[in-house]
Formats: sequence, structure tokens, C-alpha cells
Amino acid sequence: MEFNRLRKWGNELDICIRCGYCYEHCPLYKLSNWEIDTPKGKLLLAYGLLTGEVEPSPYVAEKFFQCFYCKNCSKSCSAKVSPTDIFADARADLMESGFETQGTTVRNDEKLCMACGRCVSGCKSEALSMDMERMRVSVSRVKCKGCGVCVAGCPVGAMSQKEGFGVSKKELSAKLENSLRSMNGKPKVVVFCCDWSICPGLRLSRMELAGAENASGIIVTVCAGRIDPGLILDTFYQGAWGVMIACCPLEECGHNGNYRAQERCASVGKLLDVLGVESNRLRLEHFATGEDEKLRKAVGNFVKHIASLGPI
Amino acid sequence: MEIDVERLRKIVGKEDIRDHIADLYVYGSDSSVHEANPSVVVRPETVEEVQEIVRYANRALIPVTARGAGSGTSGHAVPIDGGIVMDMRRMNHIIGIKPRDILCKVESGVACDDLNKALQPYGLWFPSAPESGRISTIGGTIANNGSGVRAIKYGTMRDYILGMKVVLANGDLVTLGADTRAQASGYQLDRLMVGSEGTLGIIVEATLLLRHLPRFRAMGIAKFNKLEDAGETISDIVASEVVPSLLELVDDVAITALNKTLNMNLPQVEAIVLYECDGLLKQAVDHEMEVTKKICEKNNAFGIEMSSDAKEMERIYSGRKKLFAALSRYREGLVCTSLADDMAVPSSKIAECARKIHEVGERNHVVMTAYGHCGEGVLHTKILMDATSREQWEDARRAVEEVYDYVRSVGGTTSGEHGIAISKASSWKKEKADSLKMMKAIKLALDPNNILNPHKLMDAPDDWVTATRLRYPVEL
Repeated sequence: MEFNRLRKWGNELDICIRCGYCYEHCPLYKLSNWEIDTPKGKLLLAYGLLTGEVEPSPYVAEKFFQCFYCKNCSKSCSAKVSPTDIFADARADLMESGFETQGTTVRNDEKLCMACGRCVSGCKSEALSMDMERMRVSVSRVKCKGCGVCVAGCPVGAMSQKEGFGVSKKELSAKLENSLRSMNGKPKVVVFCCDWSICPGLRLSRMELAGAENASGIIVTVCAGRIDPGLILDTFYQGAWGVMIACCPLEECGHNGNYRAQERCASVGKLLDVLGVESNRLRLEHFATGEDEKLRKAVGNFVKHIASLGPI
Repeated sequence: MEIDVERLRKIVGKEDIRDHIADLYVYGSDSSVHEANPSVVVRPETVEEVQEIVRYANRALIPVTARGAGSGTSGHAVPIDGGIVMDMRRMNHIIGIKPRDILCKVESGVACDDLNKALQPYGLWFPSAPESGRISTIGGTIANNGSGVRAIKYGTMRDYILGMKVVLANGDLVTLGADTRAQASGYQLDRLMVGSEGTLGIIVEATLLLRHLPRFRAMGIAKFNKLEDAGETISDIVASEVVPSLLELVDDVAITALNKTLNMNLPQVEAIVLYECDGLLKQAVDHEMEVTKKICEKNNAFGIEMSSDAKEMERIYSGRKKLFAALSRYREGLVCTSLADDMAVPSSKIAECARKIHEVGERNHVVMTAYGHCGEGVLHTKILMDATSREQWEDARRAVEEVYDYVRSVGGTTSGEHGIAISKASSWKKEKADSLKMMKAIKLALDPNNILNPHKLMDAPDDWVTATRLRYPVEL
């Protein structure tokens, strides 16, 4: 196999010193704890594909199609290697060789899709396009960054992501249920906090959580753009007293998910008013990467505020 | 070597075992130049699982290589003979913190910086976390006798070990040491495990001594037009009454790399010295900073900046923290290889050694940098070379040998911080020539079937270049 696109990165693969400092920034490693799921692990696979030490296979391809493109690895790499650019070319090469898998990318259920085009215009990565002949939305697996903004925005639920990465509807609902159950006896505040940027680093070890995370039942989740109005309402319906969505500053989200979250929060806020529920039980806050302390304080203040309101 | 994968699967469960070639390839490398695939990777979660795996491996004569974060620079976790790689990061519980005893108990897969995060609310600190502490594990750091940038004042990993639990090659679990600072005579078997690089047992738990977080810290940076002046400064500071908590040298090669890769905008001088003092009393810290500054000035330093502001200190130190990787972009066509790496010399020899490193590099057509925790005598070199050229590997081989010959001639040691494993073994064996027999006897007594991380340290191949597959695309 040729791997022509990947081959041009040969020198960059040698420049990577394989220090592994990217592990702590990778949400996928946090999920699996296998080194193959780290940026370094995938760069090794890319190198192995080029040297022939690793044969292309659906298993190998799946690894390259699994990435949320938070780009924390690229941002933090002191050797200035950009793993995500390399993965994109690996995806294209693998697809050309007949190895296309879903990974973290979205899937469109053509039976459900109404071809309204809402997802196409909302995709910052230009991964979605309207096939005018068939009147269907098609997904570019090379370009899709798995943010799930289209999944949250699809009015008929045609867009979906695979289970196993904590982003499917089923997984998010399960996380929510567990979180609310663990808050018995405390103000039931749910915080949806973007795991790809602001959630304070990756803890590689298991220990008692300190501070805000412990106090409020924080839900480490996905891009704020993935939080659909239904999930917010369901959170209240399941007994939450308050909901906070913690997302990146407006210009800093790689997927424009924070803009979508802002719009959705405004709509859900109006709906809460109509339902006679104080709309200030729903709050959206912006945090830049590394603003752990700000996040902690904001969550603490919100918990206090919600505690004063009591249950709905 | 026939491995009963099903049996291992039963021990650790189906989620914690991998034998796909892609996983094996990934687990066959670390941050060194070496690569060798294991036959299977397991992730035990309990001591009992570790024992069962080792018992099985010992009976079936299968090599077992324990792996922490795989951040070693000399091939520690690269399984030369394949076999079982045991990823220890599922055993990552902080078992207990006892502030009144100033100690903690942790499983060996705990990441060093995670431990420090957990200790912070108690005002405590584990000072021996290495620069790679964000991922490197306590077990790996013990097995390597690693240390952090503050070793000049706070010592290395061995100074923080009170005790540990170790699974031996026959699967027995032994408890070594005690929870006390004072432990009198008897073989110091816990210390024997420190720096053993996984060849004598699998460390599963450690009891670590802690320190109180210093209340005050200040950092300074001084520039030098002559490398010798910077070296003299370091020697003078070490010999003075001051005990800095950090003392670092950064040479011109490193400065160029930092400016080029990270746009650090540092002055292109021959050397920069970074220093830090910490303590309980501000006056004491200020005094130490002042004495250090005067020593710098006496040795022709200029552009001295000092700060006790946390953000400013972070800025001053940020370049040093990112240096290792940044060296990879020093010059087009060269990459940064973890060779030579981390020798230590007596502090009076720092300047001479740094100069020698540059000379050796030049003579052998490679670029060698000299930076590191010079306060404790450690110099990081790295070899910047065209790793795709066969001739350059010959150049590197000569350069490594020449540097280490010099280091031994001045009473230095092959590795001050990163360990021996494969790529430093040939020089280390020369250094330890008269104690190799003793080491081999210890290894034979504890691991008669030679299953624990074989072919490392005294048993490593003499020629590191051909010891394993190299990580770069080069035909030798």
C-alpha cells in the first residue's frame, strides 16, 4: 500500500521524541487507558504502517478514526508535532486502501434523515454535505471531528455516534442518572463540563476528588455543543435542581459548540420560564484551558445559588 | 516461547489483555531509540493478579517486563525477548496519606504529579517527582531511582523510600522496609529494589516519605557569554553555604532550539543558569537568592532577573521544561535522540564536561547539547543527528563512548537520573566492572530463571546500536 499522504509526515514522526506527555491531555486515553489510544500510540501506528511493521487492518484503521480533535496534544507538544493533521492524512490513505471505519465520527441514518440541511450549515469542519441528487446528507470521515454538534442539533435523531466513547445518547443518559443518584442528600447540581478542553487535566491515578468536582457531581462530558436541549430538560426532569454548562470562551471552541450551547441555553431558559421554573437554574459559563480555579469557584457559587433555591 | 494467552485472560479479565500486533507494536517502544515487540500486554489491577501472572511466567520461562508510563529514555520497558509486558497503570490507587506521619502509601501505577496534586491540600509534597511526573509512575521512578529538578536540595527517589511491597520472580509477595524514618541494620532490601529497573521484582506498592511544601520560593535567571563562567558559577554555588532548590544550566544549542521551536526570544548567549531557593522564611530565601546572585555576578553574569511571583517564575522556567522535545527542531534534517543522555560529574567539573560534550559532538559530526540539573552534577546531552543515515549511527556510537570515557575519568557516573537499561549499559558495565559479578549473583538468587526484564543493566548486549530494532528508518 502506498500511504502517499502519510509518507510526507515521515520526518515529523522521527521528530516526535515519544515522551508520551500527550497522554495526559487525551480524552480517549482517559476512556481506555490503553497506549494505542494516545496520540503517541497512533503516531507509532502511522510509523509502523510506513515501515511495514504494522499491516493496515480494520482494527488499526479504527484507531485513526477515533479522535475528538480537541488538539490538546498538538497544543501541548513541545516538539511542535501536530498529531491530528497526521491522523487526518492517515484516515484518507486508509480509506483509499479500503479501510474505512466509523470511530468517533458521526453516522447519518438515511431512513430518518429529512435532508433539512441544518447539520450541514452548522458543521465547522465542513464534514457534512448535501447530496442534492439523493437529497441526503453525506459524511466525510476524513473531515468529521466527532464533536457531535450535529447529533445534538438533528431534529429527527438521524445523526448518531458509536457507543464506547461516552458521547452517545444512551451513555450520556446513563452518566446523568449515575450522577444524580450519587448526589442524594446534596443540592442536585449537574455540571456538563467539556472534557476536551477545560476539565482540569487528566488524572491518571485514582483518588478522592477534591473541591467542586466532589461537591456538585460534575459530569465530565463532551463539547458543550453536544448537549442537546432534550438532555438539559431531561436533567431537570430527573430531579436536578440546577444545570451548569461549562464551555470554552466563544472564539476558542474548535467546533463552534459553545455558540450552539449558548443558543440552546437561551431557548431552554425561555421554556423553563413558560413551565414556571426559574430560568436562572440553568447557567452557561465560559472557561479557557487551564482555568481550573475559575471553574472550581464558579461551580461552588452556582451550587450555593441553587442550594438557596432548593429543589424544583 | 509458547504463551497461554487464555490463561492470562482468565487472570486479568478480557478487558485487560491485548495481543493484537498493533498494540504489541505500540507497547514495544518507549522514549529511547530501541524497539522490540512483546508477545502480549496485560494490565493487572491487584497484587494477586500480578502474583498469578509472575508465577505462571516463571514456570513457563516467559520474560515479564513491568511498564510504568513507558517514558524511559534508555529502553527500560522495551522487551528484548518479547514475552509479557505488564502495564502497571491499573494499579493506580493512592492508598492513604498520613499527614501526622509525613508519609503516604501508593500503588506503583500512581502518576507522580497526581500524587502531588493529592498531597497539596495537606500542605505536603513529594519532591522527587521527575519532569515527566505528569505521566511517569511511582513504580517506574523507583525502579529507575529517578529524581526531579530539585534533587540538589531534596535528593533522589531513594531518599523517599520507607518501604515497599514487591512481587518476586517466583510470585511471592514480600514487604520490605517499615513506616519509620529510622530503620537500623539488616539488608536494606527496599533500597536494593531502587534502581533495579524491574530486574529483581515487580514493585506493587510503596511507602513514601513526604515533605512540607516550602512557604516561599524565588527564582533567578542569569546569562553568560562564556560557558566556562556559567560552569564556574554552578560549582561556586554548590560549594557555597547556599543550598538552592534548583540549579540548571542551559547551553547555546538548547537556547537556539528553544528560540526556534517555541519562539522563546532568549538572548543567544553561550549559557544561561537558572536557580531557585525555597524555605520557611522569606528572609532566609531572600538571603540565599542574594548570595546566589552575587556568585553569578562574580562570574561575569549579566541580565540577572529574579522573581518570587508564581506566574513570573513559571515563565522563567517554561523553556527549560519543554527543552527535551524542543531540541528535535534544532536544525532541519537532525532529530533529537535520547543518547548519552544524563551523565553526572562532580560539580567542580561541570564547565569542563559541558565543553567536552561540545568537542566530542563536533569531532564526531553530530550536535550535542549540554543542559540539565547541574546542581546535582547531572548533564543532559542528547545527540542531534540525521537518524536515517547509517554513518551517523557510527558517529553517535563513537561520540557516546568518548563522552562516557571522559565522564568516568573524572569520577562521574554513566547515568545520574534516567537509568541504564540498554543504551547506556556498555559504558556502565565499564564503570561498575568490579561489582558486576556481585550484581549477577543477586540477580541469579532472586530471579534464577531470568524472567524479569532480561538483558538489561549488567546483562544488556554490549553493542547498544544492534541490541534491538532502532526506532528510526535506517538500515545498518
